[in-house]
Amino acid sequence: MNPDYDKQLEAAISRELKALPELAAPGALANRVMAAIGQRARVPWYRRSWQTWPLALQGVLLVGLLAAFALLCFGGWQLAHFTMLTPAAREVSGWFSLVNAVWNAANTLATALGLAFRSLGPAVITGIAVMLLASYAACVGLGTVYWRLAFCASLKERQL
Amino acid sequence: MTNAQQFEIFMRNYQNMVFSTAMRLLTNQSEAEDVTQEVFLRAYERFGELQGSPTVGGWLKTVATNLSLNHLSRYRSRWTFFSEIFTGDTDAGDGPEMEFADESNVGEKLEARDRHELVERALQKLPTAQRVPLVLYHLEGLRYDEIAEKLGVSLGKVKTDISRGREALRKKLRLTLEPENSLT
Repeated sequence: MNPDYDKQLEAAISRELKALPELAAPGALANRVMAAIGQRARVPWYRRSWQTWPLALQGVLLVGLLAAFALLCFGGWQLAHFTMLTPAAREVSGWFSLVNAVWNAANTLATALGLAFRSLGPAVITGIAVMLLASYAACVGLGTVYWRLAFCASLKERQL
Repeated sequence: MTNAQQFEIFMRNYQNMVFSTAMRLLTNQSEAEDVTQEVFLRAYERFGELQGSPTVGGWLKTVATNLSLNHLSRYRSRWTFFSEIFTGDTDAGDGPEMEFADESNVGEKLEARDRHELVERALQKLPTAQRVPLVLYHLEGLRYDEIAEKLGVSLGKVKTDISRGREALRKKLRLTLEPENSLT
C-alpha cells in the first residue's frame, strides 16, 4: 500500500477521532456509584477483601498464617520422626500410611503407563494423539453448530 | 465537606472521561456503566492518594481501559468465536453504510455535533477486532507494540487491524484524502 496514502489516512482518522467530545455519562451513574460505596462501607471489615483490611490487621493475619504454616511443617516433621511416642501419634501416623499407600500405587501405575508408551513406538503414539485431537475437534465443531442453531436469533440481534 | 462528598465531586469531574473510554471500547452502555462503576469503586479505595495527584486522569483512563479489555476477553471471547465462525464478520468494509442526510457534500453541511455523532456511530459499528486497537492507538495514545502486548496478539495483526479499521472508517465517513490532507 502507498505509504503516503497510509500517512494521510492515519492523520485524517486521527483528526476525526480526536475531535470527538467526551460522551455524557448517564445521570444516574454517580448516584449508583455512591450507593455502591455506601453499601460497601456497611459491610464489616472481616467480610471485605483482604486488600481493604486495615494495615495492622493485614500484618497480624499474615504473621498468624506464617506461624500456623511453620507449626504445621514442624508438626509433620515431628510425626515422621517420633511416631512411636504416643498412641495418638501412632494413630495419626496410620492415616499418613494410607496416603503413602495411595501415592505408591499411583507411582507404580504411572511407571507402568510410561513403560507401555515406550514399548508402543512413535507411530502408535502419534496415531493415538491424532485420534484424540480429531475427537476434540469434532466435539468443538458439533458444539459450535449446536450453539449457532440454538442461539442464532439472539446472536444476530446482538450483532446489529 | 465529608470524604464522600469530595469523592462525589471528583467523580462528577471525571465520569464522562471514564465512561467515554469504556463505551468506545465496549460499545454497550450497560457494560460501560458497570466498568465505570468499578473504576470509581477502585478510585474510592485509594482516594487519598489520587486526590490532588496530577496523574489522576491517566490513572483513571488506564484502569478503565484495562477493565474494559478484561471484560471483552472474559465475557465476549467465546461469543465472538462462535459468531465469527459462521458470519465471517471481520471486514467492516462490507458492513452497512451510515445514512447521510445529503450525500453530495456531507462534510460542509453537517453541523459539528452531527458530525461527531456520525463518527461515533461509525466507530461503534466497526468489528471489535478493528475498533479496539483503533481506539487504543488514536484515542488512548498507545503504541503498536503496547497494543499488541495488551491484547495478546502479534504486532503484525495490530497493524493490519488498525489499517483495516481506518479504511473502514474512511468508507463509512466517506472521507476523501487530498494531497494536502484536506477533507471533503
